[in-house]
Amino acid sequence: MIDLKNLKKSYDGRAVVDGLTLHIKTGHVFGFLGQNGAGKTTTIKMIVGLSAPEEGEIKIGGRSASDVSSREKIGFMPEAPYFYERLTGLEFMKFCADLFGRGHSGLGRLEEILRQVGLYDAKDRAIGNYSKGMKQRLGFAQALVNNPEYIFLDEPLDGLDPIGRKEIKEIIKSLKRGGKTVFFNSHILYDTEELCDEIGIIHHGRLLYAGPVKEFCAGRPLETRFVEEVEKAEKIVHETAQI
Amino acid sequence: MRNIIVIAKNTFRETIRDRILYGILGFAALYILLDLFMARLALGDLVMIKSFGLAGIYLFGLMITIFLGASILYKEIERRTLYFVLSKPVSRRQVILGKFAGLFTAVIFTTALMAVIYLAVIFYEGGGFDYLGLLAIFMQVVEMGLFIALLIFFSSFAAPMTSTVCAVLVLFSGHLLDSVLKNSKLIGGLTYRLIKAAYYVLPNLEKFNIRNIVVHRVAIMPASVLWAVAYAVFYSVLLLFFASVIFKKREL
Repeated sequence: MIDLKNLKKSYDGRAVVDGLTLHIKTGHVFGFLGQNGAGKTTTIKMIVGLSAPEEGEIKIGGRSASDVSSREKIGFMPEAPYFYERLTGLEFMKFCADLFGRGHSGLGRLEEILRQVGLYDAKDRAIGNYSKGMKQRLGFAQALVNNPEYIFLDEPLDGLDPIGRKEIKEIIKSLKRGGKTVFFNSHILYDTEELCDEIGIIHHGRLLYAGPVKEFCAGRPLETRFVEEVEKAEKIVHETAQI
Repeated sequence: MRNIIVIAKNTFRETIRDRILYGILGFAALYILLDLFMARLALGDLVMIKSFGLAGIYLFGLMITIFLGASILYKEIERRTLYFVLSKPVSRRQVILGKFAGLFTAVIFTTALMAVIYLAVIFYEGGGFDYLGLLAIFMQVVEMGLFIALLIFFSSFAAPMTSTVCAVLVLFSGHLLDSVLKNSKLIGGLTYRLIKAAYYVLPNLEKFNIRNIVVHRVAIMPASVLWAVAYAVFYSVLLLFFASVIFKKREL
């Protein structure tokens, strides 16, 4: 279970996340949607411990996110990841695994993950020579080195070609089948609809909707419903400002 | 401790794969080998040859340290590579200590390469195995450790250029403090008090400069060497502690 209670975060006096409360059930795939600047990345950064909330509480599997040890069970892939370019793909995976204290003993497993994401043949090449899509796959691969129970992905399908997207989606589905909880930010709504059990929609730091994706869509495409919901919220904000 | 070692190993590996580093090392090797030419000019005067070689190791060691350390934290924050590290069970203090250890190891490695060339040159010129020269190089390495801690401290809150300028200014002042304090004592008053305050706050880096003593074969007190090492350790620990405190509060 991932529990976010009344999270607040602001930058330069502007609220980026404002009173966010979410409950994500174990074993679910949760899509966190919103426009650019809506507060998705800030939320995910607070969950994985990169940023501290000003107010509120985050619990992952019953443990506070501020507790460093809670990250033992977490896998995180940042948006548009940058790497240590002079390392090879496999060296980077070893480095990430070593931070969990399970590096070289699980070399076979690291190679297996690289095989899953389609990077096995490039494992001994310097990351600096990887294409954007390959870096995206490596970012995804390193999030799995510790066999995490909770996986947080920030725009995991961004920059991937259709085949790459299909492969990553397959892995997300297999993670779900394995009982993992997956939380991801995305603006590719078609894929979100296909992958998610539940979604959350954030707009100007406030939660507009959280619940089953099918209930939200009610037989219509997610993109249409998303645009409607955001425009409705925008209209309310505009009218309130005029009053 | 495990995470500090893992980060240090990674930092070291990344650092020594930098091609520019080998460019600087190439120039350093060339400079130290020029000592052979200096030996002809100095008619085999070992004092001159040793001074030239040790100064080269210091200058190039400094250049390498600045080159490697200037953006050590900033680059990781800007490129967001730290996201990979800090989303794992790793504290920010461990990142600071790991970066320091990795960079210091890289500086020791590069200095060792220069020292080998220096010792070979001195041996070739009939100076035998220069034990004392090695001690002077060791003290330079200790100073570089403190300088790395300074760079990391400044880069925990400032951009690379600012942190480099600040660290170099402190380095420069650190070597002048002794003589400036002595001279200001003659002036007295507020100037003296201010310089005395700076003397206690800024690191006194002349403690690590034993090059002149070594080349002129003046006796070195072991206690002064040990005291200087302890001083460097204390000062570096203090700087890294403050860097950790600042870095912990920094928004990524």
